[in-house]
Amino acid sequence: MITANKLTKRYVGRTAVDGISFEVGKGEVVGFLGPNGAGKTSTLRMLTGYMPPSSGSASVAGHDIFHDSLKARSKIGYMPENVPLYDDMRVKEYLHFVARLHALSGRKVRVRTGEVMELCRITDVRRKMISSLSKGYRQRVGLAAAMVHDPPLLILDEPTNGLDPHQIRQVRSLIRELGENHTILISTHILSEVEAACDRVIILDKGSIKAQATPQELVDQLRTAGTITLEVKAKPAVVEGALCAIPGVRKVNSRALSGGWSKTRVVADSKSDVRSDVYRRVVDHGWELRELVLCRASLEDAFVELTHVDHAG
Amino acid sequence: MRTLLILFGKELRSIFLSPIAYVVIALVMLLTGFSFKAALTILERTSSEGSLVLWTYTSYWFWLSFFPIFPLVTMRLFAEERKMGTMETLLTAPVRTSQVLVSKYAAAVVFYIIIWLPSVLYFYLFVGITGDVDVVPRGELLGSLLILFLSGLFYLAMGCFASALTSNQIVAGVMSFTLCLMHFLVGMFSLNLARNIPPEVAEMVTFIAPHVHFQRFTTGLIDSRPIAYYLSLAAFFLFLTHQVLEYRRWKS
Repeated sequence: MITANKLTKRYVGRTAVDGISFEVGKGEVVGFLGPNGAGKTSTLRMLTGYMPPSSGSASVAGHDIFHDSLKARSKIGYMPENVPLYDDMRVKEYLHFVARLHALSGRKVRVRTGEVMELCRITDVRRKMISSLSKGYRQRVGLAAAMVHDPPLLILDEPTNGLDPHQIRQVRSLIRELGENHTILISTHILSEVEAACDRVIILDKGSIKAQATPQELVDQLRTAGTITLEVKAKPAVVEGALCAIPGVRKVNSRALSGGWSKTRVVADSKSDVRSDVYRRVVDHGWELRELVLCRASLEDAFVELTHVDHAG
Repeated sequence: MRTLLILFGKELRSIFLSPIAYVVIALVMLLTGFSFKAALTILERTSSEGSLVLWTYTSYWFWLSFFPIFPLVTMRLFAEERKMGTMETLLTAPVRTSQVLVSKYAAAVVFYIIIWLPSVLYFYLFVGITGDVDVVPRGELLGSLLILFLSGLFYLAMGCFASALTSNQIVAGVMSFTLCLMHFLVGMFSLNLARNIPPEVAEMVTFIAPHVHFQRFTTGLIDSRPIAYYLSLAAFFLFLTHQVLEYRRWKS
């Protein structure tokens, strides 16, 4: 659906997007993840034809975004960052305007507007002025406007930015629903969002792609697959000595708690599950065990590791 | 064409939904009212040449109401959309930049025409009350309205240009006011300093400044030179505006 080839955007004195290439297949829900200023918005603006690429090219549904811009744009439903809307319009009126701008006509305008209002749950505010809407409603009106012409591709720039947790959950479930028969490209700097809604993640930092994988693969790629904490009744030094010997264990840290207990953190290598080994050692030594927990590496860890390698050391 | 109409409808609607529209209409009605009154006084007290129409559309009151119109009408056209970010939704819809420009300009022109309708009503009211048809010669009225329309096309295009340059409405307004006033003051300058500048320069200035054009057209003299002059200037500034909008989009 989207093919980007060495897409580059240079501003005066700064390269926002530096020759990125990626593809988004039909029906995929792809998350564009990166810290603020990584070049997400610039990339989306190039794809939607708001800005031209400085070099490189991209096409949407087979139409080049620069040379065949109008055709490409008609395939896209775009919700820009911060959801700009006309404050002096009523919700329904705005959706009608957008629908007609996308060459829908007559009955179709009314039918589609009704459908998307129902889908985004904004039917109850259809007569309200947009200026009087809360942030959550604005976001959903923006989403409704982006899909009122039933585009095959939805591009959403930070769709849950500034919403409360309840609203975030609503928007995410809406995105998941839409993902069933749309191609969606979301940009975000919130990781759980990608974990919750996307089939694939593209991590962007300082204008270039750092990783491209499913959320699960990304976590698996990490140096550390997870950390195990356990509490046993034994001396810290003894526990460390015993657990260090397990193959796949990289680091063991133990400290004493009150009553003869000790708390130990075991860091294991990627793709090795050492929980049963750890348990066996504990049983072999006859230690009392009161806790054994695996903390899975989250996408958050992957993100920090990939985008801030220099700080992590 | 359909897209153009949709955009035009939206622009016209948003002009009439903003309070600025009514402030401008009220301001112009008030000041042309004074201008009309002043014209009546002049005709009453002195045996001066010229008709009621001429004096109404060339008085100080008239110029006072004339120039604030353009910044007030045009300043929000592009600056507001840029500020609110709606420019992005608009220009990522399958819409050409030129369609956006033409629809905004056309809406401003239509509103500008509406602004002047009440002043025409004054004359007909006067005729209705006094029964004196000769007071408002048709030729002079048509000439006056034509020059109002022509110069308006130019000043509105200049206002569009100013609005496209910035995302701040005040800056856009001040800029277009300054540009309009400068154009007017070139004429005033030559009138006041006529003795100190060579006659060739003074004559050239009369081709540029709106003052002289208004004096001709309000006597009912339709001169083709100002028509070509204002139309080409308007086209030029619309072209500039288009370049500014495209440049902003295509900046690398």
